[in-house]
Amino acid sequence: MSEPISGELPTDRAASAFPTGQLLSKYGLLGFLVVNALVVSVLSPAFLKPENIANVLTQAAPLGIVVLGQTFVLLVGGVDLSVASVMATSAVIATGFAATDNRMVPVIFAAAIGLGLVVGLVNGFLVAKRNVSPFLATLATTVVLQGLRFLYTQGSTGSTLPSAFALMGAGRFLGVPVNLIALVVLAAIFGFVLLVSKHGRKIYLVGNNARGAILVGLPTDRIIIGCYALCSVIAAIAGLFLVGYVGQVDQWTGKGYELDSIVAAVMGGVAITGGRGNVFGALLGVVVLVVMFNAVILLGLPVQVQLILKGVIVIAASAFYLSGSWERI
Amino acid sequence: MIVEAKAISKSFPGVRSLDRVDFSVSAGEVRALVGENGAGKSTLIKIIAGAYTPDEGELHFDGGNVKWSSPHEAQAAGIHVIYQELVLFPEMTVAQNIFVNRQPRNSLRMIDYRAMKTRAKALLGDLGALIDVNEKIKRLSVANRQMVEIARALDSDAKLIVFDEPTAVLGGHEVELLFAIIRGLKQRGVAIVFISHRLDEIFEIADSATVLKDGKLVGSVPIAAVDRNKLVAMMIGRNLADIYPPKAQEGEVGEVVVDAKDIVVGTRVKGVSFEARKGEVLGVAGMVGAGRTELAHAVFGSLPLDGGSIHLVGQAAAKPSPARSIAAGLGFLTEDRKGEGLFMLLDLAANVTAPVLDTVGESIRLDRGAEKNIAQKQIRDYAIAATGPEASVANLSGGNQQKVLLGRWVISSRTALILDEPTRGVDVGAKVEIYRIIRQLARWGLAIIMISSELPEIVGLCDRVVVLCEGRKTGELAGLEVTENAVLQLAVARRDAMSAGRSA
Amino acid sequence: MSAVTSDPPRTAARQAIRQMPVSLLVVLGLIVLLLAIGVIASPRFASLNNFRNIFQQSAALGFVSLGQTIVVLTGGIDLSVGAMISLTSNFTSGWIDGDPNMVIPVVVGVIALGAAIGCVNGALSHYLRVHPLIVTLGMSAILQGCTLLYSLAPVGKVTDDFEAFAYGRIFGLSYGGLAMLALFALVGVFLHRTRTGNAIYVVGGDARGARLLGISVARTMMLAYAMSGTCAALTGVYLVSRMGSGDPWRGDGFDLASITPVVVGGTALSGGRGGPLGTLLGVYLISLLNNILNFMDVSTFYQWIVQGFIIITAVAIHVEKGRRA
Repeated sequence: MSEPISGELPTDRAASAFPTGQLLSKYGLLGFLVVNALVVSVLSPAFLKPENIANVLTQAAPLGIVVLGQTFVLLVGGVDLSVASVMATSAVIATGFAATDNRMVPVIFAAAIGLGLVVGLVNGFLVAKRNVSPFLATLATTVVLQGLRFLYTQGSTGSTLPSAFALMGAGRFLGVPVNLIALVVLAAIFGFVLLVSKHGRKIYLVGNNARGAILVGLPTDRIIIGCYALCSVIAAIAGLFLVGYVGQVDQWTGKGYELDSIVAAVMGGVAITGGRGNVFGALLGVVVLVVMFNAVILLGLPVQVQLILKGVIVIAASAFYLSGSWERI
Repeated sequence: MIVEAKAISKSFPGVRSLDRVDFSVSAGEVRALVGENGAGKSTLIKIIAGAYTPDEGELHFDGGNVKWSSPHEAQAAGIHVIYQELVLFPEMTVAQNIFVNRQPRNSLRMIDYRAMKTRAKALLGDLGALIDVNEKIKRLSVANRQMVEIARALDSDAKLIVFDEPTAVLGGHEVELLFAIIRGLKQRGVAIVFISHRLDEIFEIADSATVLKDGKLVGSVPIAAVDRNKLVAMMIGRNLADIYPPKAQEGEVGEVVVDAKDIVVGTRVKGVSFEARKGEVLGVAGMVGAGRTELAHAVFGSLPLDGGSIHLVGQAAAKPSPARSIAAGLGFLTEDRKGEGLFMLLDLAANVTAPVLDTVGESIRLDRGAEKNIAQKQIRDYAIAATGPEASVANLSGGNQQKVLLGRWVISSRTALILDEPTRGVDVGAKVEIYRIIRQLARWGLAIIMISSELPEIVGLCDRVVVLCEGRKTGELAGLEVTENAVLQLAVARRDAMSAGRSA
Repeated sequence: MSAVTSDPPRTAARQAIRQMPVSLLVVLGLIVLLLAIGVIASPRFASLNNFRNIFQQSAALGFVSLGQTIVVLTGGIDLSVGAMISLTSNFTSGWIDGDPNMVIPVVVGVIALGAAIGCVNGALSHYLRVHPLIVTLGMSAILQGCTLLYSLAPVGKVTDDFEAFAYGRIFGLSYGGLAMLALFALVGVFLHRTRTGNAIYVVGGDARGARLLGISVARTMMLAYAMSGTCAALTGVYLVSRMGSGDPWRGDGFDLASITPVVVGGTALSGGRGGPLGTLLGVYLISLLNNILNFMDVSTFYQWIVQGFIIITAVAIHVEKGRRA
């Protein structure tokens, strides 16, 4: 080959000539989910009851919404650790209005979206314009938000919300959980953007090769900042759904969502180094996790087993996508 | 003979990489290994270096039959390969790099830094390289980094050193230094295998050449027994009278489309002016480090302009940026195709349409069908060996990857196209095709600005040549003035002027 | 560019300081600044007793951050340290349960467990080709689940002597703090003066290159993560000594807390650059900061904000060049 001899250590087989591996990586997770669901429904018929499914999906929806945003950030080669903090802060803002009048709902939404915009722009700026590692930048904003939040609440919980929030977070519309409807709508919009629109392609270009993207004339910085802003805005909205579901905000609100959202996306094929994957795979990751949590409860296993299984599934599912070396954050 | 490979065969799923190939090199001999895409050079070297095991055939090293179980074993025995992607660690010092995993230790089994540095200094001194052993690799020039790798090989008592395209990233002066070192190694009895596509260099440094084609041995000849044409004929199986297409005729060259005046970029470009005209191929020659790439980036807008002005088609470019340049019809094929050019996880079609994405489809929707058609046309027009528009670019050979990138810029460029080392790492067959494409683009009315470190290429292809040296333009040649000698003189001009000034 | 000389000791020291990365000097500067602020903030700050307290209180963070440093140097990250601390603290307390005969076997066993689990982390990441972030996150969940299976609430107790580790002092300096310093020094020598230790930097610089030069990336990774697991286990044991009993949630927050001193001290998340000295300075910086904030009667809530700004500042100092052109 005229290509200079790379320093690759030998694999005496052509890497791409292994169709089974590719099939596994495309459909493996889906297959796993189906098998899982079948096994559980046999062991515990309660699993397939519409009420159960509706409950499970209602609980999963906020995570699903957050994952949508996290996917965008992952695609451009970053991570957003601040989503949990944004969710919690958004919830605090919602109860902070101490409003019960449903006419305040648009105002609360506007405030939450404003929060998301500000945080997202800060994150994006630090990463794109100041070359800060996304891990550190979003870690910093997490901590700062945390401090601001506690400063405001002084540790007490808030629960004053307009009634619409309960409907939003926990209610049903024609039997279907409202927040699930919201998730589906958002997923459709963002799925379209990513997979069909030109802007989506630009995101993939930037995630693949940021330097190369500059050289083909793309406004790389703006695209990156946009992804972080989108992620934070979506996280803020997810926070509103979460507080609607729970009915109150406390120090546990949003805990764990940042890592769970990354993990679900990676399980679903979104490369942690960027440039590969999409929202549907990421949502599949969420479903797998959530089904597993539900199965544990239905099967009467101790709750701690959820954690253990989650860890195992996360590692196993991510191992499916072993196409090439991983790089550093 | 230090190394003798007899009737080596090696297959991979679906591909017979090597078919009963014989190869040998003796102590103190420089043997060139040449061949096209997929000829099998890389496979052969990997077998010799212990990275692959042959399916058939024998490998003899230093008198005995050998079967390497790992590259490390071959290294320990004295076989070293200096890959084009140097195995160096930028954050560590020169001394540390030379002795990675082999550091000298004291009686307590602790690394003895003093001994390490002393030995490192000695090794580099032997090579005549003035490098500070305490310097971090990241601060070294590419040529010096190569020295460090060579020093590492030397310290391991190398009996055979394989150089894989070592001159691809070196400028003329540095190539001479490398050749001097290779000659020194020869005298010490080291066997050398030299892989390169630059035929001139092969004729300068090699004693003999082995030509592979499609996995088979075409022949092994002493260099004195062949000339360029014969060697090329052996490599591609046909005789090529003209590697370079005919240059621009009178009347084919039009008005000035790129007018750069007094360009200043940091300390790398110190006031360079040039003009590029429709229909001509303008060469930009000079040593590595002369500032050519920085100049190109500044013209394109991907490096900030610290001084000077740029006019594209008569319009002043106020604040050049890649987006504005592309909109004005200017394209830029960069020298680092993997790092700056290709989008490895995306398919061929996506790579081709990247700069003109907004035009593929009317609304916000990307018209995938149209995109694939565009890509298919490129594949046809440029004979890209890929399975289709949805092929992964990561698996393509260097020459084909370059064609994909060329195809990308051909679509988006209307005014001018800057090419930075367009045939680096590309074999002769593909080179010829690329030259043809370049000349055709010029004929279609583009101004081509071509940066190249290969003198034959500059002389063979370019209508006019601008030569840079240490950030300044030392001269401009046109027509019959364009000869290798003339270009070389201008490329080192400042150095001579400076040394003359010192002695004066 | 250089003549062959052997430098006499004094100029060698001067040269060492000049060669010290700017970032470390800045951290030192920040420490000095904080000392100044502390003196202004409260008269009780500048007392020997207070400094001894800071010395003692930095031990826990120090142990776990040391392990994290090694892992980050290979270009990875260990997000399972928090769960590991919880696990070891819980088991230590639960298995000893007041029986003095159990102390040594349990401590040894628990630390060995930390090493083993760490080794598994490294192996999974390398052989499955999954990013250490994901592997250690998954492992964190597994470990936390196992801990909670064992007990949902603090369980067991330790002997009175056990608390000596945290509270015992020699010349006024706590055993824990001294052990931490000793461990840092040991690891520093290991990284700098042994081939295996140097291999950690090499793998962090370029794993491919490391392989080509005969270094086993697998073994290096497993070693690095095993060391991190050991350090986390040690932290768990130490905290049991401090608090008197174990707690299944003891390690909560340590994941990210252990990364702060590493980053502040100049070790790059991308690997191959930095070292334990920077982390040590980072640990003292943060301990100092917490101490001053306590003196200033600043509520814990503000402390979080300040920590956030420290991270940002540190990041601004060690801007990772060349990540994007």
